[in-house]
Amino acid sequence: MSKPLVVFDKIQKHFGTFVAVKELDFEIREGEFLAIMGPSGCGKTTTLRMLAGLEAPTQGDIRLNDRVMNDVAPHERDTPLVWQSLALFPFLTARENVEFGLKMRGVDKAERKERALKWLDKMGILEFADRDISTLSGGQKQRVALARSLVMEPQILLLDEPLSALDAHLVIRMQAVLTDLQRELGITFVYVTHSQSEAFAMADRVIIMGKGEIAQIGSPKDIYREPANQFVAEFVGRNNILSGKVALLTNDTAHIATPSGDFTVPTNEVRLIEGHNASFVISADLVHISLSDPNDGNKAQCKLISEEFVGSMVTLFLEDAQGQEFKVQMQERELSKFDLKSGAEVWLSWDTASAHVLNES
Amino acid sequence: MSSNPDSRPNLYALTWRLPIIFWQLIFFVGPVLFMVAMSFFLVKNYRMTEAFDFVNWTRMLTRGFFWDSYWYTVVIATASTVCAMCIAFPAAFALAFRASESTRRWAIFLLIIPFFTSYLVRTFSWFVILSESGVVNAMLGYIGLGPYTMLNTNFGTLVGYMTLTLPLVVILQTVTMANIDKNLIEAARNLGCSAFRTIWQVIIPLSKTGLIIAAIFCFILSFGDFVAPFYLGGSQEPTLPILILDTTKSGQQWPRAAVVAIMMMVTLFAIAFTGIALAYRKGKGAK
Repeated sequence: MSKPLVVFDKIQKHFGTFVAVKELDFEIREGEFLAIMGPSGCGKTTTLRMLAGLEAPTQGDIRLNDRVMNDVAPHERDTPLVWQSLALFPFLTARENVEFGLKMRGVDKAERKERALKWLDKMGILEFADRDISTLSGGQKQRVALARSLVMEPQILLLDEPLSALDAHLVIRMQAVLTDLQRELGITFVYVTHSQSEAFAMADRVIIMGKGEIAQIGSPKDIYREPANQFVAEFVGRNNILSGKVALLTNDTAHIATPSGDFTVPTNEVRLIEGHNASFVISADLVHISLSDPNDGNKAQCKLISEEFVGSMVTLFLEDAQGQEFKVQMQERELSKFDLKSGAEVWLSWDTASAHVLNES
Repeated sequence: MSSNPDSRPNLYALTWRLPIIFWQLIFFVGPVLFMVAMSFFLVKNYRMTEAFDFVNWTRMLTRGFFWDSYWYTVVIATASTVCAMCIAFPAAFALAFRASESTRRWAIFLLIIPFFTSYLVRTFSWFVILSESGVVNAMLGYIGLGPYTMLNTNFGTLVGYMTLTLPLVVILQTVTMANIDKNLIEAARNLGCSAFRTIWQVIIPLSKTGLIIAAIFCFILSFGDFVAPFYLGGSQEPTLPILILDTTKSGQQWPRAAVVAIMMMVTLFAIAFTGIALAYRKGKGAK
């Protein structure tokens, strides 16, 4: 494991009486692509702004390369940020925008121009170098904004929902551009987003934040398959969450009695107590569907409510007799075998190992 | 008006525009044309008589006293503009970026209040403050300075101009800067620009249009003001408005006053036109 580049040490941030960040304790590793994800108002942007020096933490230390950054002015930091609004200077051309940071650092004119043009070329927008910002398209502006930050050759690049204003097809393109750049340059990327698809597609590690706290840190796969708690499970979505009471506890499995039936789950390392409440999740893509009763194992009989069709994947929304919602995700060609109509009765089943018990929080 | 070559003038739209067109014709174009015509009239036995004679123009424009007055007015109105813009900027900056939304609203309200009272009254109140035995000299006297002559000097004129223009300039600058996207300032800070440097690098370029318009207003008001140079400046060196007054009073020379007025209007047109062209000029990269 590489050494931490940035350390957030018991960071709190209050705005008056409003607590934006309750307590943050985490590290950013050198060279990683870290995504910070959460619903709006969870404190993810504030976290990023504190790292850039645009907000001062109320309590705690932020260290960059072992240096406490709390009293370092934003313009003395080497933490360029790509803004959600892009924040390009409208009175400058694309090239002048890219040169801005170099100019502030006192780089001479000839070198400034050379480095700016090199980055505009790298981003594939060299031909627009002398154009006014207002004449560029969304995707082109996005590239200028990236070039403007990367031309500083920083150790760490901060990105605040930079793709949220782009069309869907451009988002996919820019995701590829960003991951390629990050691999190639070896720069640490800290990427704030509310979009799960962006975070999971690009990041090495993801931090899920909720109400000013970290809900879970882990690889996208960990977070998707093994959400730490109900908040993460709900936020990540496409999860089936079932709640009940622990009926029977064996060595490494537990029976959980829910209104929808009794289910067997692996206990993993979660401490469960017989008779107490417990919840577990099954990812929507790990649920099987059949027209007849699968007889044994974890199963539930449901009625099809609706379906959502995205590309080759289909998400089915179902409900059992007790009103418990289920989601099932599968390939469209697989689903077409069943020829289901809305309201059809089907059986759902899943392997015990697919279920994941949540920590009660 | 329309890109469609077939379209006839829209009567409905024209009807609604008529009042403003009439107003412009009767109260602006008409008087200006009359003034231009009048500048060719002659005065005989203190009475204006219709004529077409260039004598007023040659008399005024070949005289040293006209050009002295002209350049003095241009210089002092420019000085007034520079002073007002510089004095207003820190205040407007604080109101736009440091003050809360409600403080800003109150400040703008308070800056409008001076316009409720007559400018003449506000000018007279400066006598009490600036005279040899006035408040300022009394206070300076305590620390062994003065007394200084402030009335009937250029300083007095400038104080008068500030009374007239400063509230307006502060309001215009504040509103302009308050509308700046704060992200752009933070982006500059993020790229290594110190807080002080953002003023030149970001804030002034972004508020260029509003700042130039504030300056144009300030220049126009000062250039045409009669009260400040007359009462506080002592009119030893007459500005153009004072020259107009003098010309009309001495020998009823309305035609020659018209020449001065036309010269003023031409100057203000030129200033306003270049200023606005500058204000709305696009960046060099515009396509």
